[in-house]
Amino acid sequence: MSSFLNVQGLRKSFGGHLVVLDDINFQMEAGERVVIIGPSGSGKSTLLRCVMGLEKIDKGRIELEGARYIEANPKSKKDNFVDIPVRNKVGMVFQHYTLFPHLTVLGNLILAPMRARGESRSSATERAMQLLDRLGLKSKAGAFPGMLSGGQKQRVAIARALLLDPKIMLFDEVTSALDPELVTEVEGVMLELAEQKMSMMIVTHDMWFAKRIATRVIFSADGRIIEDAPPAKMFTNPSEPRTADFLKKVLHVETIS
Amino acid sequence: MGRYTWDFSVITANWDPLMAGLAVTLQLTAICAVIGLIGGFLVCQMVMSRIAPLRWVAIGFIELFRCTPALVQIIWIFYCVPYFFGVFFDPFYMAILALGMNITAFNAEAYRAAIQSIPASHYDACTALGLSPLKKTLFVILPQAVLMAIPVLLTNTIGLLQQTSLVAIVAIADLMYEGKTLATQTYRPIEIYTTVAFIYFALSVPLSQAVGLFERRLRSRLA
Ligand SMILES: Nc1ncnc2c1ncn2[C@@H]1O[C@H](COP(=O)(O)OP(=O)(O)OP(=O)(O)O)[C@@H](O)[C@H]1O
Ligand SMILES: [Mg+2]
Repeated sequence: MSSFLNVQGLRKSFGGHLVVLDDINFQMEAGERVVIIGPSGSGKSTLLRCVMGLEKIDKGRIELEGARYIEANPKSKKDNFVDIPVRNKVGMVFQHYTLFPHLTVLGNLILAPMRARGESRSSATERAMQLLDRLGLKSKAGAFPGMLSGGQKQRVAIARALLLDPKIMLFDEVTSALDPELVTEVEGVMLELAEQKMSMMIVTHDMWFAKRIATRVIFSADGRIIEDAPPAKMFTNPSEPRTADFLKKVLHVETIS
Repeated sequence: MGRYTWDFSVITANWDPLMAGLAVTLQLTAICAVIGLIGGFLVCQMVMSRIAPLRWVAIGFIELFRCTPALVQIIWIFYCVPYFFGVFFDPFYMAILALGMNITAFNAEAYRAAIQSIPASHYDACTALGLSPLKKTLFVILPQAVLMAIPVLLTNTIGLLQQTSLVAIVAIADLMYEGKTLATQTYRPIEIYTTVAFIYFALSVPLSQAVGLFERRLRSRLA
Protein backbone atom coordinates (compact mmCIF):
# COMPACT_ATOMS: atom_id res chain seq x y z
CA MET A 1 0.00 0.00 0.00
CA SER A 2 1.55 3.27 -1.02
CA SER A 3 1.24 6.36 1.09
CA PHE A 4 -0.40 9.60 0.09
CA LEU A 5 2.94 11.42 0.21
CA ASN A 6 6.09 9.35 0.10
CA VAL A 7 9.59 10.78 0.36
CA GLN A 8 12.18 8.10 -0.33
CA GLY A 9 15.92 8.35 0.33
CA LEU A 10 15.98 12.11 -0.13
CA ARG A 11 19.39 13.70 -0.01
CA LYS A 12 19.99 17.37 -0.61
CA SER A 13 23.25 19.25 -0.45
CA PHE A 14 24.26 22.75 -1.38
CA GLY A 15 27.40 23.07 -3.47
CA GLY A 16 28.00 19.33 -3.18
CA HIS A 17 29.41 19.34 0.36
CA LEU A 18 26.95 21.07 2.69
CA VAL A 19 24.55 18.16 3.22
CA VAL A 20 21.29 19.65 4.46
CA LEU A 21 19.02 16.61 4.14
CA ASP A 22 20.55 13.20 4.52
CA ASP A 23 18.59 10.11 3.49
CA ILE A 24 15.16 11.36 4.53
CA ASN A 25 12.38 8.76 4.45
CA PHE A 26 8.98 10.13 5.26
CA GLN A 27 5.41 9.07 4.61
CA MET A 28 2.12 10.71 5.35
CA GLU A 29 -1.51 9.84 4.74
CA ALA A 30 -4.21 12.07 3.31
CA GLY A 31 -5.72 14.37 5.92
CA GLU A 32 -2.67 14.30 8.16
CA ARG A 33 -1.22 17.57 9.40
CA VAL A 34 2.47 17.14 9.96
CA VAL A 35 4.26 19.91 11.82
CA ILE A 36 8.02 20.01 11.48
CA ILE A 37 10.01 21.55 14.29
CA GLY A 38 13.72 21.80 14.88
CA PRO A 39 16.61 24.17 15.36
CA SER A 40 17.39 26.88 12.84
CA GLY A 41 19.34 25.53 9.89
CA SER A 42 18.18 21.95 10.40
CA GLY A 43 16.72 21.79 6.90
CA LYS A 44 12.99 22.28 7.58
CA SER A 45 12.48 24.83 4.80
CA THR A 46 14.67 22.81 2.49
CA LEU A 47 12.49 19.73 3.01
CA LEU A 48 9.33 21.66 2.11
CA ARG A 49 11.06 23.22 -0.88
CA CYS A 50 12.10 19.76 -2.11
CA VAL A 51 8.52 18.48 -1.79
CA MET A 52 7.37 21.54 -3.76
CA GLY A 53 9.99 20.82 -6.41
CA LEU A 54 11.93 24.03 -5.86
CA GLU A 55 15.27 22.39 -5.13
CA LYS A 56 17.52 20.18 -7.20
CA ILE A 57 17.95 17.03 -5.14
CA ASP A 58 21.01 14.75 -5.08
CA LYS A 59 19.27 11.47 -4.42
CA GLY A 60 15.86 10.00 -3.87
CA ARG A 61 12.34 10.44 -5.10
CA ILE A 62 9.02 11.87 -3.99
CA GLU A 63 5.61 10.42 -4.79
CA LEU A 64 2.11 11.82 -4.39
CA GLU A 65 -0.80 9.37 -4.42
CA GLY A 66 1.50 6.73 -5.78
CA ALA A 67 2.72 8.88 -8.68
CA ARG A 68 6.42 9.62 -8.70
CA TYR A 69 6.70 13.32 -9.49
CA ILE A 70 10.22 14.23 -8.41
CA GLU A 71 13.29 12.11 -8.82
CA ALA A 72 16.97 12.93 -8.62
CA ASN A 73 18.62 13.18 -12.01
CA PRO A 74 22.33 12.49 -11.60
CA LYS A 75 22.95 13.51 -15.22
CA SER A 76 21.75 17.09 -14.78
CA LYS A 77 23.39 19.77 -12.70
CA LYS A 78 20.27 21.91 -12.63
CA ASP A 79 17.08 19.89 -12.81
CA ASN A 80 15.32 16.90 -11.33
CA PHE A 81 13.03 14.65 -13.28
CA VAL A 82 9.69 16.35 -12.61
CA ASP A 83 6.16 15.32 -13.46
CA ILE A 84 4.69 18.79 -13.55
CA PRO A 85 0.96 17.92 -13.55
CA VAL A 86 1.46 15.89 -10.37
CA ARG A 87 3.66 18.55 -8.78
CA ASN A 88 0.89 21.07 -9.50
CA LYS A 89 -1.26 19.25 -6.92
CA VAL A 90 1.07 20.60 -4.24
CA GLY A 91 0.51 24.16 -2.98
CA MET A 92 2.87 26.25 -0.89
CA VAL A 93 2.86 29.46 1.13
CA PHE A 94 6.13 31.12 2.05
CA GLN A 95 7.49 33.08 4.98
CA HIS A 96 8.20 36.11 2.84
CA TYR A 97 5.33 37.86 1.15
CA THR A 98 5.11 36.65 -2.41
CA LEU A 99 2.03 38.47 -3.70
CA PHE A 100 2.78 40.05 -7.06
CA PRO A 101 2.70 43.81 -6.45
CA HIS A 102 1.59 44.75 -9.97
CA LEU A 103 -1.65 42.80 -9.62
CA THR A 104 -4.64 43.38 -7.36
CA VAL A 105 -5.66 40.76 -4.80
CA LEU A 106 -8.13 39.34 -7.33
CA GLY A 107 -5.49 39.51 -10.07
CA ASN A 108 -3.09 37.54 -7.89
CA LEU A 109 -5.73 34.89 -7.25
CA ILE A 110 -6.88 34.33 -10.82
CA LEU A 111 -3.46 34.55 -12.51
CA ALA A 112 -2.50 30.88 -12.24
CA PRO A 113 -6.00 29.42 -12.81
CA MET A 114 -6.19 31.44 -16.03
CA ARG A 115 -2.62 31.32 -17.28
CA ALA A 116 -1.49 27.92 -16.05
CA ARG A 117 -4.78 26.02 -16.09
CA GLY A 118 -6.64 27.74 -18.92
CA GLU A 119 -9.70 28.53 -16.82
CA SER A 120 -11.91 31.36 -18.14
CA ARG A 121 -11.64 34.74 -16.44
CA SER A 122 -15.27 34.74 -15.39
CA SER A 123 -15.13 31.29 -13.83
CA ALA A 124 -11.84 31.99 -12.03
CA THR A 125 -13.16 35.33 -10.80
CA GLU A 126 -16.33 33.74 -9.48
CA ARG A 127 -14.41 31.08 -7.54
CA ALA A 128 -11.91 33.65 -6.28
CA MET A 129 -14.62 35.96 -4.99
CA GLN A 130 -16.33 33.08 -3.17
CA LEU A 131 -13.07 32.13 -1.52
CA LEU A 132 -12.23 35.72 -0.58
CA ASP A 133 -15.70 36.06 0.89
CA ARG A 134 -15.14 32.95 3.02
CA LEU A 135 -11.87 34.39 4.30
CA GLY A 136 -13.41 37.79 5.01
CA LEU A 137 -11.32 39.45 2.32
CA LYS A 138 -13.98 40.23 -0.26
CA SER A 139 -13.68 43.99 0.26
CA LYS A 140 -9.96 43.73 -0.55
CA ALA A 141 -10.41 42.11 -3.98
CA GLY A 142 -9.54 45.34 -5.80
CA ALA A 143 -6.72 46.39 -3.47
CA PHE A 144 -3.05 46.14 -4.37
CA PRO A 145 -0.84 44.07 -2.06
CA GLY A 146 1.06 47.18 -0.96
CA MET A 147 -2.11 48.42 0.72
CA LEU A 148 -2.64 45.27 2.84
CA SER A 149 -1.43 44.38 6.31
CA GLY A 150 1.00 41.46 6.66
CA GLY A 151 -1.76 39.24 7.97
CA GLN A 152 -4.02 40.06 5.05
CA LYS A 153 -1.15 39.43 2.61
CA GLN A 154 -0.57 35.96 4.01
CA ARG A 155 -4.28 35.13 3.97
CA VAL A 156 -4.43 36.21 0.32
CA ALA A 157 -1.35 34.09 -0.40
CA ILE A 158 -3.12 31.09 1.16
CA ALA A 159 -6.23 31.84 -0.89
CA ARG A 160 -4.13 32.08 -4.04
CA ALA A 161 -2.71 28.60 -3.44
CA LEU A 162 -6.11 27.14 -2.47
CA LEU A 163 -7.76 28.34 -5.65
CA LEU A 164 -5.69 25.75 -7.52
CA ASP A 165 -7.34 22.93 -5.52
CA PRO A 166 -4.15 21.46 -4.08
CA LYS A 167 -4.13 17.96 -2.57
CA ILE A 168 -1.60 19.07 -0.01
CA MET A 169 -0.51 22.45 1.32
CA LEU A 170 2.97 23.34 2.54
CA PHE A 171 3.40 26.22 4.98
CA ASP A 172 6.90 27.50 5.72
CA GLU A 173 6.80 29.78 8.76
CA VAL A 174 3.98 31.78 7.27
CA THR A 175 3.51 33.84 10.44
CA SER A 176 7.17 34.51 11.27
CA ALA A 177 7.29 37.88 9.54
CA LEU A 178 4.06 39.08 11.14
CA ASP A 179 3.43 41.36 14.07
CA PRO A 180 2.15 39.25 16.99
CA GLU A 181 -1.38 40.63 16.81
CA LEU A 182 -1.71 39.52 13.17
CA VAL A 183 -0.62 35.93 13.74
CA THR A 184 -3.97 34.59 14.91
CA GLU A 185 -5.89 35.64 11.81
CA VAL A 186 -3.50 33.63 9.62
CA GLU A 187 -3.42 30.66 12.00
CA GLY A 188 -7.21 30.82 12.04
CA VAL A 189 -7.33 30.20 8.30
CA MET A 190 -5.02 27.22 8.71
CA LEU A 191 -7.16 25.79 11.50
CA GLU A 192 -10.18 26.13 9.22
CA LEU A 193 -8.34 24.16 6.55
CA ALA A 194 -7.58 21.55 9.19
CA GLU A 195 -11.29 21.18 9.87
CA GLN A 196 -11.81 20.55 6.18
CA LYS A 197 -9.25 17.72 6.38
CA MET A 198 -6.69 19.41 4.14
CA SER A 199 -3.38 17.53 4.13
CA MET A 200 -0.66 19.85 5.34
CA MET A 201 3.02 20.05 6.12
CA ILE A 202 3.73 22.97 8.40
CA VAL A 203 7.01 24.45 9.57
CA THR A 204 6.57 26.73 12.55
CA HIS A 205 8.40 27.99 15.60
CA ASP A 206 5.10 28.47 17.42
CA MET A 207 4.85 25.36 19.61
CA TRP A 208 1.40 26.19 20.90
CA PHE A 209 0.06 26.44 17.39
CA ALA A 210 1.93 23.24 16.50
CA LYS A 211 0.25 21.40 19.33
CA ARG A 212 -3.13 22.72 18.30
CA ILE A 213 -3.01 21.93 14.60
CA ALA A 214 -0.77 18.88 14.30
CA THR A 215 -1.84 15.28 13.97
CA ARG A 216 1.85 14.42 13.94
CA VAL A 217 5.00 16.28 14.89
CA ILE A 218 8.43 15.72 13.45
CA PHE A 219 11.57 16.91 15.15
CA SER A 220 14.44 17.34 12.73
CA ALA A 221 18.06 18.22 13.38
CA ASP A 222 21.24 18.00 11.33
CA GLY A 223 19.32 17.03 8.21
CA ARG A 224 17.69 13.99 9.80
CA ILE A 225 14.35 13.13 11.30
CA ILE A 226 15.17 12.57 14.96
CA GLU A 227 11.68 11.93 16.24
CA ASP A 228 8.24 11.47 14.76
CA ALA A 229 5.30 11.34 17.18
CA PRO A 230 1.76 12.54 17.84
CA PRO A 231 1.73 16.01 19.44
CA ALA A 232 0.57 14.72 22.82
CA LYS A 233 3.63 12.50 23.05
CA MET A 234 6.09 14.87 21.42
CA PHE A 235 5.33 17.78 23.71
CA THR A 236 4.89 15.91 26.97
CA ASN A 237 7.08 12.86 26.78
CA PRO A 238 9.54 12.85 23.89
CA SER A 239 11.63 9.69 23.49
CA GLU A 240 14.80 11.33 22.26
CA PRO A 241 16.96 13.42 24.60
CA ARG A 242 17.71 15.84 21.77
CA THR A 243 14.02 16.51 21.29
CA ALA A 244 13.58 17.14 25.00
CA ASP A 245 16.58 19.49 24.97
CA PHE A 246 15.23 21.44 22.04
CA LEU A 247 11.75 21.75 23.50
CA LYS A 248 13.15 22.88 26.83
CA LYS A 249 15.08 25.63 25.06
CA VAL A 250 12.24 26.94 22.93
CA LEU A 251 9.57 26.64 25.57
CA HIS A 252 11.60 27.64 28.63
CA VAL A 253 9.53 25.05 30.46
CA GLU A 254 9.55 21.26 30.55
CA THR A 255 6.33 20.66 28.67
CA ILE A 256 3.25 22.42 27.47
CA SER A 257 -0.14 21.16 28.34
CA MET B 1 24.38 91.56 -26.93
CA GLY B 2 21.59 93.52 -25.37
CA ARG B 3 21.11 95.47 -28.55
CA TYR B 4 20.03 92.46 -30.59
CA THR B 5 16.59 93.03 -32.06
CA TRP B 6 14.62 89.82 -32.09
CA ASP B 7 12.50 89.14 -35.13
CA PHE B 8 10.33 86.07 -34.78
CA SER B 9 8.51 86.68 -38.04
CA VAL B 10 11.10 84.36 -39.54
CA ILE B 11 9.51 81.57 -37.48
CA THR B 12 5.95 82.24 -38.55
CA ALA B 13 7.05 82.59 -42.15
CA ASN B 14 8.79 79.21 -42.03
CA TRP B 15 6.36 77.41 -39.78
CA ASP B 16 5.61 74.59 -42.23
CA PRO B 17 9.15 73.22 -42.70
CA LEU B 18 9.72 73.45 -38.95
CA MET B 19 6.56 71.46 -38.30
CA ALA B 20 7.52 68.95 -40.99
CA GLY B 21 10.86 68.55 -39.23
CA LEU B 22 9.11 68.18 -35.88
CA ALA B 23 6.95 65.41 -37.36
CA VAL B 24 10.08 63.52 -38.41
CA THR B 25 11.60 64.00 -34.94
CA LEU B 26 8.46 62.68 -33.27
CA GLN B 27 8.24 59.71 -35.62
CA LEU B 28 11.85 58.80 -35.01
CA THR B 29 11.40 59.11 -31.25
CA ALA B 30 8.18 57.10 -31.16
CA ILE B 31 9.45 54.27 -33.37
CA CYS B 32 12.78 53.97 -31.55
CA ALA B 33 11.07 54.19 -28.17
CA VAL B 34 8.91 51.18 -29.05
CA ILE B 35 11.94 49.29 -30.40
CA GLY B 36 13.78 50.09 -27.17
CA LEU B 37 10.96 48.96 -24.91
CA ILE B 38 10.70 45.55 -26.58
CA GLY B 39 14.30 45.11 -27.72
CA GLY B 40 15.63 46.20 -24.34
CA PHE B 41 13.65 43.47 -22.61
CA LEU B 42 14.81 40.83 -25.10
CA VAL B 43 18.47 41.83 -24.77
CA CYS B 44 18.08 41.89 -21.00
CA GLN B 45 16.69 38.34 -21.14
CA MET B 46 19.76 37.36 -23.15
CA VAL B 47 22.06 38.95 -20.57
CA MET B 48 20.36 36.93 -17.85
CA SER B 49 20.18 33.75 -19.93
CA ARG B 50 21.58 30.42 -18.81
CA ILE B 51 23.27 30.07 -22.21
CA ALA B 52 26.72 31.64 -22.07
CA PRO B 53 27.14 32.63 -25.78
CA LEU B 54 23.81 34.47 -25.67
CA ARG B 55 25.05 36.36 -22.62
CA TRP B 56 28.32 37.29 -24.32
CA VAL B 57 26.61 38.60 -27.43
CA ALA B 58 24.18 40.66 -25.37
CA ILE B 59 26.83 42.09 -23.07
CA GLY B 60 29.00 42.95 -26.07
CA PHE B 61 26.06 44.69 -27.70
CA ILE B 62 25.24 46.70 -24.60
CA GLU B 63 28.82 47.77 -23.96
CA LEU B 64 29.34 48.71 -27.59
CA PHE B 65 26.40 51.06 -27.59
CA ARG B 66 26.90 52.43 -24.10
CA CYS B 67 30.59 53.11 -24.53
CA THR B 68 30.66 54.93 -27.86
CA PRO B 69 29.06 58.32 -28.63
CA ALA B 70 25.64 58.15 -30.25
CA LEU B 71 26.85 60.57 -32.90
CA VAL B 72 29.61 58.16 -33.88
CA GLN B 73 27.16 55.27 -33.92
CA ILE B 74 24.86 57.11 -36.31
CA ILE B 75 27.64 58.11 -38.67
CA TRP B 76 29.26 54.68 -38.48
CA ILE B 77 26.04 52.85 -39.30
CA PHE B 78 25.25 55.36 -42.03
CA TYR B 79 28.56 54.80 -43.82
CA CYS B 80 29.62 51.31 -42.85
CA VAL B 81 26.42 49.30 -43.12
CA PRO B 82 26.07 49.98 -46.87
CA TYR B 83 29.76 49.26 -47.34
CA PHE B 84 30.01 46.01 -45.37
CA PHE B 85 26.59 44.58 -46.01
CA GLY B 86 25.97 45.94 -49.46
CA VAL B 87 22.54 47.25 -48.48
CA PHE B 88 21.42 50.81 -48.48
CA PHE B 89 18.24 51.65 -46.66
CA ASP B 90 16.55 54.98 -46.72
CA PRO B 91 18.51 57.27 -44.32
CA PHE B 92 15.43 57.44 -42.10
CA TYR B 93 15.65 53.67 -41.53
CA MET B 94 19.38 53.88 -40.94
CA ALA B 95 18.68 56.42 -38.22
CA ILE B 96 16.04 54.13 -36.70
CA LEU B 97 18.56 51.31 -36.73
CA ALA B 98 21.21 53.38 -34.97
CA LEU B 99 19.02 55.11 -32.40
CA GLY B 100 16.90 51.99 -31.87
CA MET B 101 19.95 49.90 -31.01
CA ASN B 102 21.31 52.66 -28.80
CA ILE B 103 18.19 52.92 -26.66
CA THR B 104 17.82 49.14 -26.65
CA ALA B 105 21.22 48.89 -24.98
CA PHE B 106 20.36 51.46 -22.32
CA ASN B 107 16.89 50.04 -21.69
CA ALA B 108 18.33 46.53 -21.33
CA GLU B 109 20.30 47.79 -18.36
CA ALA B 110 17.21 49.48 -16.90
CA TYR B 111 15.26 46.23 -17.17
CA ARG B 112 18.12 44.22 -15.69
CA ALA B 113 18.27 46.45 -12.62
CA ALA B 114 14.48 46.21 -12.24
CA ILE B 115 14.44 42.43 -12.63
CA GLN B 116 17.21 42.02 -10.10
CA SER B 117 15.13 43.91 -7.59
CA ILE B 118 12.34 41.30 -7.87
CA PRO B 119 12.77 39.01 -4.85
CA ALA B 120 13.80 35.40 -5.54
CA SER B 121 10.76 34.24 -3.60
CA HIS B 122 8.55 35.47 -6.45
CA TYR B 123 10.19 32.97 -8.79
CA ASP B 124 9.53 30.19 -6.28
CA ALA B 125 5.94 31.35 -5.93
CA CYS B 126 5.48 31.12 -9.71
CA THR B 127 6.74 27.54 -9.73
CA ALA B 128 4.50 26.70 -6.78
CA LEU B 129 1.57 28.15 -8.72
CA GLY B 130 2.40 25.99 -11.72
CA LEU B 131 3.32 28.85 -14.03
CA SER B 132 5.68 27.72 -16.80
CA PRO B 133 8.92 29.67 -17.30
CA LEU B 134 7.41 31.49 -20.29
CA LYS B 135 4.19 32.45 -18.45
CA LYS B 136 6.21 33.47 -15.41
CA THR B 137 8.26 35.81 -17.60
CA LEU B 138 5.25 37.20 -19.46
CA PHE B 139 2.80 37.68 -16.62
CA VAL B 140 4.93 38.16 -13.51
CA ILE B 141 8.46 39.25 -14.35
CA LEU B 142 7.87 41.47 -17.41
CA PRO B 143 5.03 43.55 -15.93
CA GLN B 144 6.87 44.04 -12.64
CA ALA B 145 10.09 44.87 -14.47
CA VAL B 146 8.34 47.43 -16.68
CA LEU B 147 6.60 48.98 -13.71
CA MET B 148 9.79 49.34 -11.71
CA ALA B 149 11.85 50.36 -14.71
CA ILE B 150 9.39 53.03 -15.87
CA PRO B 151 11.27 55.98 -14.35
CA VAL B 152 14.54 54.95 -16.00
CA LEU B 153 12.83 53.97 -19.26
CA LEU B 154 11.18 57.39 -19.40
CA THR B 155 14.48 59.10 -18.67
CA ASN B 156 16.08 57.11 -21.49
CA THR B 157 13.24 58.12 -23.79
CA ILE B 158 13.83 61.79 -22.99
CA GLY B 159 17.47 61.22 -23.90
CA LEU B 160 16.34 59.55 -27.13
CA LEU B 161 14.22 62.56 -28.05
CA GLN B 162 17.26 64.81 -27.63
CA GLN B 163 19.52 62.39 -29.47
CA THR B 164 17.30 62.28 -32.55
CA SER B 165 18.70 65.78 -33.26
CA LEU B 166 22.01 64.05 -34.12
CA VAL B 167 20.54 62.54 -37.29
CA ALA B 168 20.61 66.00 -38.88
CA ILE B 169 24.26 65.25 -39.52
CA VAL B 170 23.33 62.58 -42.06
CA ALA B 171 20.79 64.88 -43.75
CA ILE B 172 17.60 63.49 -42.33
CA ALA B 173 15.05 66.30 -42.36
CA ASP B 174 14.20 66.33 -38.66
CA LEU B 175 13.53 69.40 -36.55
CA MET B 176 17.21 70.16 -36.05
CA TYR B 177 17.98 69.74 -39.75
CA GLU B 178 15.14 72.03 -40.81
CA GLY B 179 16.30 74.58 -38.23
CA LYS B 180 19.86 74.44 -39.49
CA THR B 181 18.70 74.83 -43.09
CA LEU B 182 16.50 77.79 -42.25
CA ALA B 183 19.24 79.38 -40.17
CA THR B 184 21.62 79.46 -43.10
CA GLN B 185 18.93 80.56 -45.54
CA THR B 186 17.48 83.38 -43.44
CA TYR B 187 20.53 84.58 -41.47
CA ARG B 188 18.37 84.40 -38.34
CA PRO B 189 20.10 81.59 -36.39
CA ILE B 190 19.35 83.09 -33.00
CA GLU B 191 15.56 83.13 -33.38
CA ILE B 192 15.53 79.79 -35.10
CA TYR B 193 17.78 77.86 -32.72
CA THR B 194 15.98 79.43 -29.76
CA THR B 195 12.69 78.22 -31.14
CA VAL B 196 14.09 74.78 -31.90
CA ALA B 197 15.49 74.56 -28.38
CA PHE B 198 12.16 75.63 -26.93
CA ILE B 199 10.33 72.92 -28.89
CA TYR B 200 12.67 70.17 -27.59
CA PHE B 201 12.27 71.62 -24.12
CA ALA B 202 8.48 71.78 -24.30
CA LEU B 203 8.31 68.16 -25.48
CA SER B 204 10.67 66.90 -22.79
CA VAL B 205 9.39 68.68 -19.68
CA PRO B 206 6.11 66.72 -19.46
CA LEU B 207 8.05 63.46 -19.81
CA SER B 208 10.50 64.60 -17.20
CA GLN B 209 7.67 65.52 -14.81
CA ALA B 210 6.08 62.14 -15.45
CA VAL B 211 9.25 60.45 -14.17
CA GLY B 212 8.80 62.06 -10.76
CA LEU B 213 5.10 61.24 -10.73
CA PHE B 214 5.77 57.58 -11.47
CA GLU B 215 8.48 57.36 -8.86
CA ARG B 216 6.07 58.63 -6.21
CA ARG B 217 3.29 56.31 -7.35
CA LEU B 218 5.60 53.30 -7.45
CA ARG B 219 6.84 54.01 -3.97
CA SER B 220 3.32 53.98 -2.58
CA ARG B 221 2.17 51.03 -4.67
CA LEU B 222 5.11 48.72 -4.12
CA ALA B 223 5.55 49.51 -0.44
N1 LIG C 1 20.28 28.41 -1.37
C1 LIG C 1 21.15 27.96 -0.44
N2 LIG C 1 22.46 27.91 -0.68
C2 LIG C 1 23.33 27.45 0.25
N3 LIG C 1 22.97 27.02 1.45
C3 LIG C 1 21.66 27.03 1.78
C4 LIG C 1 20.68 27.50 0.85
N4 LIG C 1 19.46 27.42 1.42
C5 LIG C 1 19.67 26.90 2.65
N5 LIG C 1 20.98 26.67 2.87
C6 LIG C 1 21.58 26.10 4.08
O1 LIG C 1 20.92 24.89 4.36
C7 LIG C 1 20.74 24.71 5.74
C8 LIG C 1 19.27 24.44 6.03
O2 LIG C 1 18.54 25.59 5.71
P1 LIG C 1 16.96 25.66 5.91
O3 LIG C 1 16.54 27.00 5.45
O4 LIG C 1 16.29 24.49 5.29
O5 LIG C 1 16.84 25.56 7.48
P2 LIG C 1 15.57 25.76 8.39
O6 LIG C 1 15.45 24.55 9.21
O7 LIG C 1 14.39 26.14 7.58
O8 LIG C 1 16.02 26.97 9.31
P3 LIG C 1 15.16 28.20 9.88
O9 LIG C 1 14.45 27.67 11.10
O10 LIG C 1 16.19 29.21 10.24
O11 LIG C 1 14.23 28.65 8.82
C9 LIG C 1 21.28 25.95 6.40
O12 LIG C 1 22.59 25.67 6.86
C10 LIG C 1 21.31 26.96 5.31
O13 LIG C 1 22.37 27.88 5.50
MG1 LIG D 1 13.26 27.90 7.29
